[in-house]
Formats: sequence, C-alpha cells, structure tokens
Amino acid sequence: MSGFTISRRTMLAGSAMLLASTAMPTLGLAQTPKKGGRLVLAADSEPRNLNPAIVASNGVFFISSKIVETLAEASFDGKDGLAPRLAVGWEGTADGLSVTFKLREGVKWHDGKPFTSADVAFSALQIWKPLQNLGRTVFKDLSTVDTPDDLTAVFKFAKPTPFQLIRNALPALSSVVPKHIYEVGKIEDNPANTAPIGTGPFKFGEYKAGQYYRLTRNSDYWGKDEPYLDEIIYQVLPDRTSAASALEAEEIQLAAFSAVPLADLDRISKVPGLKVITKGYEGLTYQLVVEINHRRKELADVKVRQAIAHAIDKDFVVKTVFLGYAATATGPVPKNDPQFYTADVPTYAFDVAKANALLDEAGYKKGADGNRFSLKLLPAPYFNETKQFGDYLRQALAAIGIDAQLVNNDSAAHIKAVYTDHAFDLAVGPPVFRGDPAISTTILVQSGIPDGVPFSNQGGYKNDALDALIAKASETLDTSARTELYKEFQKEVAADLPLINVAEWSFVSVARDAVGNIANNPRWAVSNWADTYLAG
Amino acid sequence: MSALHRFLRRPEAVAGALILAALFAMAVSAGLLFPGDPQSIAGPALLPPFQDWSLPLGTDRLGRDVLTELFHGARTSLAVGLAAAAAALAVGAVIGTLAGFTGGLTDEVLMRITDAFQTVPSFLLALAFVSVVGPSLGVVVVAIALGTWTGPARVARAEVLSIRERDYVANARVIGMHPLAIAFREVLPNALPPVLALSSVIVAAAILTEAALSFLGLADPNRVTWGGMIAEGRTVLRTAPFLSIVPGIALVLTVLGVYLAGEGIVETTAVRRGLS
Repeated sequence: MSGFTISRRTMLAGSAMLLASTAMPTLGLAQTPKKGGRLVLAADSEPRNLNPAIVASNGVFFISSKIVETLAEASFDGKDGLAPRLAVGWEGTADGLSVTFKLREGVKWHDGKPFTSADVAFSALQIWKPLQNLGRTVFKDLSTVDTPDDLTAVFKFAKPTPFQLIRNALPALSSVVPKHIYEVGKIEDNPANTAPIGTGPFKFGEYKAGQYYRLTRNSDYWGKDEPYLDEIIYQVLPDRTSAASALEAEEIQLAAFSAVPLADLDRISKVPGLKVITKGYEGLTYQLVVEINHRRKELADVKVRQAIAHAIDKDFVVKTVFLGYAATATGPVPKNDPQFYTADVPTYAFDVAKANALLDEAGYKKGADGNRFSLKLLPAPYFNETKQFGDYLRQALAAIGIDAQLVNNDSAAHIKAVYTDHAFDLAVGPPVFRGDPAISTTILVQSGIPDGVPFSNQGGYKNDALDALIAKASETLDTSARTELYKEFQKEVAADLPLINVAEWSFVSVARDAVGNIANNPRWAVSNWADTYLAG
Repeated sequence: MSALHRFLRRPEAVAGALILAALFAMAVSAGLLFPGDPQSIAGPALLPPFQDWSLPLGTDRLGRDVLTELFHGARTSLAVGLAAAAAALAVGAVIGTLAGFTGGLTDEVLMRITDAFQTVPSFLLALAFVSVVGPSLGVVVVAIALGTWTGPARVARAEVLSIRERDYVANARVIGMHPLAIAFREVLPNALPPVLALSSVIVAAAILTEAALSFLGLADPNRVTWGGMIAEGRTVLRTAPFLSIVPGIALVLTVLGVYLAGEGIVETTAVRRGLS
C-alpha cells in the first residue's frame, strides 16, 4: 500500500508542477536552485558492491558517486577538462615519477571524522592499485604515497608515468574511501562496501533489494549551501518499458542511462512536462565493437577482417539500431574525444561487392549453397542495442556468404564464453572509452593478457609492432608526443583490424521539467549531484 | 453416421480444424512463398502494417518483413509443438505401461520418479534445462517433453492396470508370450485412446511453452519464433504495438485451433466408442 500513497502524493505534487509550468512558460533553466525535495529516479540494475574504489563501473558510480567522492571530476570548461573535488590542485614533475595533490580543507567523512591525506594514501595503495579493476593498470607503478601534512599527498612512481594519464584517470579511478573504516579486516568483506561511507553530498540511507536505494542529505557537506536535495530515491525498475510509463505517471522524475528505450524517445519528447536530454554523457562513451577470435584461421587473414568491415553498413546501424543516437566509428578512439582522436586512419566504406572480392582473393570461394564458411557470433547481452546489432551483423555477413550462427548467453555465461573459454569466432562487445586510451582501450588489442580478464584482448591477436607502440606510449611523458603515439595507434588498429569499431554511443536522460542543473558536466549521471535541485 | 459427419456437425471443431489447416498451410508454404532467409532485411525499419503492399504486415526494428517471419515462425511453433507432444506421449505411454503391467518394485520406482517430475513446475524444469544445455530446437523439444510426459504416464498406467486383468491378457500369458511382448503388443494399443486424448492439451501447452521460452530469449536465435517476435516487439510496445500484437494473435489462434480440433476429435471418437 505504501507504494500507492507515494505515487498519489507525487502525482498531486506533479500536477501542481504541471499547472505552474503552464502558467509561467518562461520558468525554466534561468531559475535559482531551490532547496529541499526528494528526487525519485529509475535504477535498472542493483549492484551488490557499492564501493567505487574497488568496482570502477558506471553501474556502481550511478549510485555511489553521490556518497563517495573522487579527487577531481570531469568538467566542460575546467583546465584539462577537470573540476576540483577532494583535491584542489594537482601537479606532476617533469620526470613522471611524482604527482602532488593539494587536498580540500575542512572536509568531513559522514561519520564525523576529518578527511586527510592518509585516507588518500590508503585508498591509492591498498585499494586502487591492488584491487580496482581499472586502477590495476593505471597505478601499477605507484610505489608510495607521501603525506608531508594532512592536506598534501605525493604519489611516487617506480617508473615514469605520464601525468596526462593520471589526470585523465582522476574522474573514474580516484574514489577516496575512509582509512579508519577500511583498515580493520579484509577490504573486500568490509560492511562499508554495501553501505558506503564517504565525503559526498549524500549519505547512504538504506537499500531494499528489488525495491529501492535511499540516499539522504549530508548537512555537513563542504560545498557551500549544497546539496539542494533532501533525498534521492533510486526506484528499481528492471523492465525498461516501465521507466517511460513511470515518468508519465509522475512516479519518478528522472530516468538516466537510456532507461527509456530509444524507440520511445520520440513519443516521450512530446509529452508535456518531460524533457529529453542527450548531454551529460560526453565522458562516458561506449563503443560498439566486433571482437574477433584470431585463432580461427579464416579470421587470422586480414583480408577477411577487412571484408567483414566493408560488409557492415555503419550508417544503417546508427540510424536503425541506435535511431540516430550514436555516431559511426573510425577507430579505437571515439570522435568526441578532444585529446586523442584522429580521423586520419584507413576507413572501410560499406561495399558488399568489394567485401566479396576480398573474400574471393583470400581464397574462400562461395560453396554450392552460397556460403564460404560458418562462424559463431556471440552478441553481448548487456544492451538491447548490442543484441540488435548481433541480429544485423548476421544478416550483413549472410550478404557476403558468411553463415553466422548466433549464440545467446546471459551476462555471466557471455563473459565466460568470450573472455575465459574463447568459445567464439565473432563477438559484439560494448567497451567504454574512459578519456585516455591507456585506461581501458589499449588492453583490447595488446597481447600477453592472461585468460579470463574481461574486456581485454582474448581473441589471441598478437602484433609486435602494435605492442611496441603501446609500450612506448605508456612511458612517454611529453603530452604531445604521447598524443601523437596514440594517433599512430589508431592508424595501426584501423589498418590491421584486431577488432572492428562500428559505432560510438552515449546515453539519454529523460526528466521532468522540474529537475534542474541536469547534464552540467560530461559525466553528469555518475557525478555527485550536489547542485541538482527540484523546482516548483 | 460416420465419425467425419459427427465431427463436421460441431462448429467449434470445424473452426479449430480450419485454423489448424491454415497453420499447416502457412508452415508448409513458408519456404515457397518466402524463400531465402526469413530474417533478411527487406525494407525500412518499423514500417506499420497495411502501408506498403509488398510488406503487408510491416517491418520490425531492423526492417525485417513481419509476414515472412510470421510464416516461418509457424513452422517452428508447429514443429516444436508436435515433436514435444509426440515425445511426451511416447515416453509417458511406455513408462506408464511398464509400471502398470509389471507392478511391484518397478511400478513403485517408476511412479515415484513420475511424482518427482510432477512436483517440479514443468515450465521451471524447461527453463532450467534449456539454460544449462543451451538453446537449440532439439533441446527445446526435450525440455518441454520433460515436463509433460507425466500426465500420459499416469493415464496409461491407470488404463493398463484395468486391462492387464482382462481374459485375453491371461490367455496371452498361458500361451507363453514374453511379458514385454504382452505389455507392448496386447496391452498398450488398447490403453492408448485415453492417452491420445491428452494430445491436444499437450500440443497446445507445448506451443505456449515454446513461445514463453523464446520470449525469455531461450530459443535458437537463428530461427524465427513467435515468442521471440513478441519479445523483440516488447521494447517498442508503445510506438509499434503491432510487432507484438501480430504474432500474439497468431499464437492465440493456434492454441485455440489445436484445442478445439483436438476436443472435437476426442468427443467424436468417445461417442463412437460409447455406441459400439
């Protein structure tokens, strides 16, 4: 019954808002933030471990970034694309062996203890480097963190580490957790992993499995007058079609991460009181990639891989699978990346005749049934779009005489089949570009990665020239020289096609008009929401 | 009056038979009317029905022809429904006959196994089986049969229990026939009619289970299925409801047709047996 009373109350409040918005049509972005209110939004997954310092993934950040803060956040207009959070300044030495962070004064943990450089040192050395999925690569050479005073942390690296990489890694990889909570017992089993304690604008309230997460206002937050909201409720709505209805019924005020299916956006954008926002995900670009198992002798031939690239109509994929909410890809770095992207790479126009010719040239003639050979195709099940692209790819391959047999798995089985058992010929994957190729992109093509590491090169691809290029870039300190090397890297990947980049996409938020300060940074959905407010 | 006449005098049975005939016609003609890959992209995506007469029922999210998919889906539905029902009836009849005819320990063991299968909801069993073994047409058939053979087994056993006391069975024993030969040559054929009466229910249930499994993504993804079409249409339910409604109607009609025709056959044969 409580569900009913909540929806009736929000319904009344919502209709009042609707009246207000029709009465004052100019009411909108220009208004001053208002304090108070409860923001109810849709959550489509329920991560068990909410510690962003261990599990650096968007599903975890979506909830925990409001509780646990990072040293810096991505920003549209800040220097190097960053805005200060727990750190107010950062400086790297020319030899790449040390980075000094100046920390914010007067920050308190949610349990009242002061935040100091010891917490940063502990998080970096005990969690980011040994335990975090992404930190393992970026911080692999971190040897010590000196804490000359409570507000200074000096990261010392055993080998030169590019300051550019550390800077680019800050928004996603530098969640700071309290030392005094985590120094007792095993870090992986700490109760704060499920009920996190941080410095952020919201405190963890409660979690009811299958129902909601509740975050409450941190009145001791360091930001002046922030946060504006009293409460954030993540209503668990695993069914994607229900998010749109819940928004229309005013049961929720926000659906981020494309919780509303793309096909519904056109209709929902016409509903009065709702707005569709495509901004705020610039720093969270997903890439639609065809992963290739180079152990198959046909696929080890670069001509076959080029033929597959020519067989894919990228414009069709963007237009039909993503309904225009995506961009075609040219290589392993997305077009919207301001630092590294280069368009100067070999490209593969949609050309079935050329693809057929390449396959003939490679010696795989069409048999009597029109087929050259069969492949096993495993589309990743995480997104509707990856599954649909799998259906499309099957048809695209049929057009060039490759018989692709689809194999559907659930998430766990897919990860095991592709990244541990290598039981695939082609797979469709959605890796994330995280602002620097060294964080999670080069690992997709470099060799020597042990079996079982998800979202890495498990296709048996080995290219010594490319490996050398990646190694050289990882120790090049000069920013422009490093950027040049990654441009070279893009060219090499696009030429040899260890994998095929098809498209790049981000997400879409749908919110009621009352929700203010949406999408004001490139990682808005996974930022701290200290300045988000509810008008009316 | 012949059985056919009696059958034809039941309008619901005739309606069922007509629907089934149409379904068979669809399944058989699918390859002739719509040759080639039914999943190939035929036109613009999300074309509504009755707009373009070369694509009368419109297209799905990738631009595949809904009518073609509907025809090829009829094949899968019928094939799975009939194969699963045949498997369930065969296994059930054999196990029921063995249990009923042998009696004693064999009966106990076989019937407790049947109980064990009956206590697990058949859909859950199918779900678990397919997720472990992996989805393919054969596996789906076995999965559905696993959950449905218990009904025929119980009916067959009950029937056999009464038949084995008849005189002709005793005669067969006296002339020295092998017990298995008696069970399967003399007893089983006479026990079959009530078992076969279950077939329409089982076929209908099998078609529905297959659709439900496909809806959940547990079907061979390289084959068109109605359940899969409904699931695919669900993501665009608000903007293109026809994608779910069209295969949904086909599914309802099929199950209804199988059930009505099956009932009609059972009723007419029951009347005949009653008269004779």
